[in-house]
Amino acid sequence: MDVIGASFHNRFVSDSKGKEPDVLFVGDSLVQLLHEFEVWRKLFSPLHALNFGVSGDATQHVLWRLINGELDYISPKVVVLWVGTNNHGHTPEQICGGIMAIINVIHQKLPHAHTLVLGLLPRGKNPNPLRERNASVNALVQAEVVSLSHVSFLDVDPGFIHSDGSILHQDMYDYLHLTQQAYQRVCQPLYERIKSLLDKQAP
Amino acid sequence: MSAEENPAAEPAPVIDVQGDGRWMSQECKDAEPDVLFVGDSMVQLMQQYEVWREVFSPLHALNFGIGGDTTCNVLWRLQNGELENIRPRVVVLWVGTNNHEHTADQVAGGILAIAQLVLSRLPRSKIIVLGLLPRGEFPNPLREKNAAVNNLLRASLPQLGPVQFIDVGGSFVHSDGAISSRDMFDFLHLTASAYRTISTTLHELLLQMLEEMPQERRASLV
Repeated sequence: MDVIGASFHNRFVSDSKGKEPDVLFVGDSLVQLLHEFEVWRKLFSPLHALNFGVSGDATQHVLWRLINGELDYISPKVVVLWVGTNNHGHTPEQICGGIMAIINVIHQKLPHAHTLVLGLLPRGKNPNPLRERNASVNALVQAEVVSLSHVSFLDVDPGFIHSDGSILHQDMYDYLHLTQQAYQRVCQPLYERIKSLLDKQAP
Repeated sequence: MSAEENPAAEPAPVIDVQGDGRWMSQECKDAEPDVLFVGDSMVQLMQQYEVWREVFSPLHALNFGIGGDTTCNVLWRLQNGELENIRPRVVVLWVGTNNHEHTADQVAGGILAIAQLVLSRLPRSKIIVLGLLPRGEFPNPLREKNAAVNNLLRASLPQLGPVQFIDVGGSFVHSDGAISSRDMFDFLHLTASAYRTISTTLHELLLQMLEEMPQERRASLV
């Protein structure tokens, strides 16, 4: 792991020793950046959420982090997992396998937590192979988790692709990362789902 | 240092290795900017926060930042269309922190080359060059390199003429050498509050420069 990654990992582990989050967000830059916008403060801070997103992380990096300490000192009720779009060079099956491996580690370490896996968003201004790859990953993951009671899948794409196949830079300023307005659209249904999961859980 | 000698001053588009063609797709459209911001993610991310709308939009600013860009990429973009059809009065340039393959000398040379290009295409404009920020949670070689680039720029930019260098990174490194994630959420990119801090200085300088310059008559009014 490089120096930057180690910085985050160490901080996340030490942060987790003092906190008691009900919700843990873990993943890549789409998770990390969420923390920097108003929507985090308004919707997720009140749920006692922690953010363990690291820009650039692929499934194997998140897996490493969770195996090596980030889950050792906390017991959130809900873990929101959003990772996979940075797995360059991997097939949809491999990416799905990576996501399932993460889900398994979470379940081992936190047997009472519910994992909410978010679908990978489309990317790129126009139709391209990565959109197809991400859609395939989503279909595979959705099929794998349907039989698991401690996991659910949520497609958070509010319809970013327009009828001409394009994504607007008003939604993804670099056709990958979300603008504030796009985060609002993604987060409202996400918030509702997390709330209902929290309500269902035994205190 | 000529382009043949300095790889950081050699224009180059970003090659799409990921597969979604994002770099080529990113384009910025606006009417007639008075201020053009150009550079890497330091510039691009600024537009995602409130501070852009509050402080820079009112100055009719256009944002040509693209995450990951090096001096080579910015040079390529400016030579290949981005300066066509616009006549900003001030160009704010912020790039260099992603030039991982290049030495501090080369990076400074690349930034100079961009400034020279802008002045040749927009002879009546002024330029503000922002110093590279410190990065990484603790002291590390990239901080030293970025500081070296800044020193070189401080010395060489004034010779170009209407170019001003400002270093807005002073407040980010604490006495123990650490940078806080409250200022740089990933020890590279700025948080909303850190952008506010640096925007004050930048805004004041912009206002000053714009006031000093006669406004050109425009063909169409907004």
